[in-house]
Amino acid sequence: MGVAQAIRAAGLDRFYRRREATDGITRVEPAAADSFAISADSAEAAGLILHVGGDLRETSLLIEGIHCGACVWLIETYLARRPGVVQATVNLATHRARVRWDARRATLADVLRAIASIGYRAHPYDSLRREMQMRREWRALLARTALALLAMMQVMMFALPGYTSTDGVDPEHRALLDWASLALTMPVVFYCAAPFFAGAWRDLRLGKLGMDVPVALGVGGAFVASAWSTLESGGPVYYDSVTMFVALLSVARLFELHARRRAGAAIEAIARDVPEVAERLIDPADTSKTERVAARQLCPGDRIRVAAGAPIAADGTVVDGRSSVEEAMLTGESWPRARMAGDRVLAGSLNRESPLIVRVDAVGEGTAAAGLARMIERAANARPRIALLADRVAGNFVAALLAIAAATAIVWSCVDPSRVLTVTLAVLVVSCPCALSLATPATLAAAAGAAARRRIFTVRSNAWESLARVTHVVFDKTGTLTKGQLSLASVDLLAGHDRSRCVAIAAALESGSMHPIADALQREMAEARQRPMAETLHEQSGAPIVPKSAIVLCDGIVAVPGSGVEATVDGRVHRFGRPEWVGALHREAMPAPARAMSADAISVALADDDGWIAWFAFSDAVRPGAAELVAQLRGMHIGVSLSSGDRAETVAHVAQTIGITDFRGDAQPSAKLEHVASLQRQGAVVAMVGDGINDAPSLAGADVSLSFGTASTLAQWTADVVLVNDDLRGVAQSIAGARRTLRVIRQNLAWAFAYNLVAIPLAASGQLTPLAAALGMSLSSLFVVANALRLAR
Amino acid sequence: MEVLYLLIPLSVTLVFLIGAAFWWSVRSGQFDDLEGPAHRILSDDDSPG
Repeated sequence: MGVAQAIRAAGLDRFYRRREATDGITRVEPAAADSFAISADSAEAAGLILHVGGDLRETSLLIEGIHCGACVWLIETYLARRPGVVQATVNLATHRARVRWDARRATLADVLRAIASIGYRAHPYDSLRREMQMRREWRALLARTALALLAMMQVMMFALPGYTSTDGVDPEHRALLDWASLALTMPVVFYCAAPFFAGAWRDLRLGKLGMDVPVALGVGGAFVASAWSTLESGGPVYYDSVTMFVALLSVARLFELHARRRAGAAIEAIARDVPEVAERLIDPADTSKTERVAARQLCPGDRIRVAAGAPIAADGTVVDGRSSVEEAMLTGESWPRARMAGDRVLAGSLNRESPLIVRVDAVGEGTAAAGLARMIERAANARPRIALLADRVAGNFVAALLAIAAATAIVWSCVDPSRVLTVTLAVLVVSCPCALSLATPATLAAAAGAAARRRIFTVRSNAWESLARVTHVVFDKTGTLTKGQLSLASVDLLAGHDRSRCVAIAAALESGSMHPIADALQREMAEARQRPMAETLHEQSGAPIVPKSAIVLCDGIVAVPGSGVEATVDGRVHRFGRPEWVGALHREAMPAPARAMSADAISVALADDDGWIAWFAFSDAVRPGAAELVAQLRGMHIGVSLSSGDRAETVAHVAQTIGITDFRGDAQPSAKLEHVASLQRQGAVVAMVGDGINDAPSLAGADVSLSFGTASTLAQWTADVVLVNDDLRGVAQSIAGARRTLRVIRQNLAWAFAYNLVAIPLAASGQLTPLAAALGMSLSSLFVVANALRLAR
Repeated sequence: MEVLYLLIPLSVTLVFLIGAAFWWSVRSGQFDDLEGPAHRILSDDDSPG
């Protein structure tokens, strides 16, 4: 039996209908309306629709065809006006929409249909389709760009005789060249430039003038004028300008898509930070039998088992077990916190030491992590309105241009009716806002390319503008200015013990633990093994390469969560952990160094039953280059402040170390966001640098946000700029780069406006020779691109 | 200059041929990953794919 028959026999032949309805079609026909109901059904079946209280439903949609902030605004406002739709938010960077609707008054199919009716395609979100859509978009754009570039080169060759010959090309040869150019330009206009025409058509249907309108008008006008000249009149041709314009714009879009794809790979799933699978106890009384269930199937009151080293799937209360839980992603607190029966734990935090039984209190939308996600969306939505401005300017320009063209046509129909068409087309062609519409994208593409070589990726193309105007940078501490992991800061030895021996004992005691202190000791051991090798060898030839002191055998390791570890080493009981608990082993008074520890360090004692052996101080080390960065930013007249969820004294210590005077600790995510907002109210343009989930709301609320390649996916998802190589210097580099970029954009815009100011009156008065029009158009575009390329060096 | 009547159509044909070849190579996924292959040659894994 064939696959097709099997599918049919199982009553699943709607698979074919669905496949036809959703694959590879670029236009949405009314006839395909049935497909909306089908894809809505399959989304329901796949569990992609969330029930959020009462009759409210919510889902994520992936939207194809979004180009700019205007598209986002359009979809949001259009959907919000549909009956039954409660809320719709669209993210420009990820092309995802979150839609919430009332199931009594609307269905998902209605929502999909509404989006299709304004010219976009929406799919219920799943990451596989996102991947496929990205790939399709990339391939199509790459093919279009390559073809346009090829055609551009060849058409330039054909145009060259016209520019270089002094006495004109003889008419026969010229006709041949024109026909050849026409043959090459046709695929460029109909295939390569198709997205611009589609965008312009959508804009016009909705009664607004976007950036695609002048592009389509210029390309279409120049092509029609040239084709008409070739077929009928033998007038001027502009094929070279058409192909060059399309090719350069395509290249700019290609760069933009490439940057977004690279950054987007890391940005994918917000949900990944909260695990998808949980181990539920089948019988609440029996902790040994569990079943694996999807996290969203959990209900309040269920009991789940969380293994050591596993993330917690839901907000809840610990019923059994003791462990330490790392909540750094949610709260910014860098040390794991002890959790025992009766304590609350949060979804997305990491259980470090031993298994816990947790009673589920809230799942899905009710968790603290989901609350953060909502806060981010609200903050992010307040922003991309800036993107609309550029579009409005272009709209006004096009409106003015059309008015001038119309006026020219009217005036010339009185003066000399035979020249109306030529002169009007000359106006349209010469003013074709090539330079104007190339000015920004070409510069942004060049800047993005230069930044990418320094491993700085701009996720949103309008990030540069905000970045250049930044007057204040707010840093997070953990993971941003500091490494976000503990390292051994110092060891205080008592009673003539050997340092490396003490470290080795401590490492051996902690060897079975998942605690960050254990990681820090392991790293210290690894470094120590490389360092003293020379000394050891030189003490006695033929000696073992590993120093004897490094070999520690211990047995009977007992971990006491929240306190420390106990084990027998060389026949003596040793304890390593919290000083009070360690001191209980031998009941000696605490030695002096214990009190002299600095505020930011976490101090851990090592002792055997005879007395204290050593005190270890662990701290979160400041990243290299942090102090230089702060000084550099000051030099650029940029204010710097530090806002962290960590303990106030730790934050103060770090701030002093690197020279930040404005700092606050114990800041909740909402307090961080408020800090950013209050700076903005004072007129500052704020850049936020952070890496954790707890930073995400302020990252979204800041004018521009930077994050690191190692940051949590949620932080990257909300960031405008991702510094992939984790180098703090990238912050100052990207701001300096953005300032340069904005300067070049201004130069380009000034040039384009000046060119139009001179060329349009000349064309309107019928003074412009074909050669001058073509040359002026090409040169103005070339100037803009060359100026932009200065950034790429 | 009669040769132009041969050469110019020839150049147009060539452009279309090259364009078609590139279009095919994009379709077949040769440009999907621009970085991976540069690293793949360094890995010792000889298994195909």
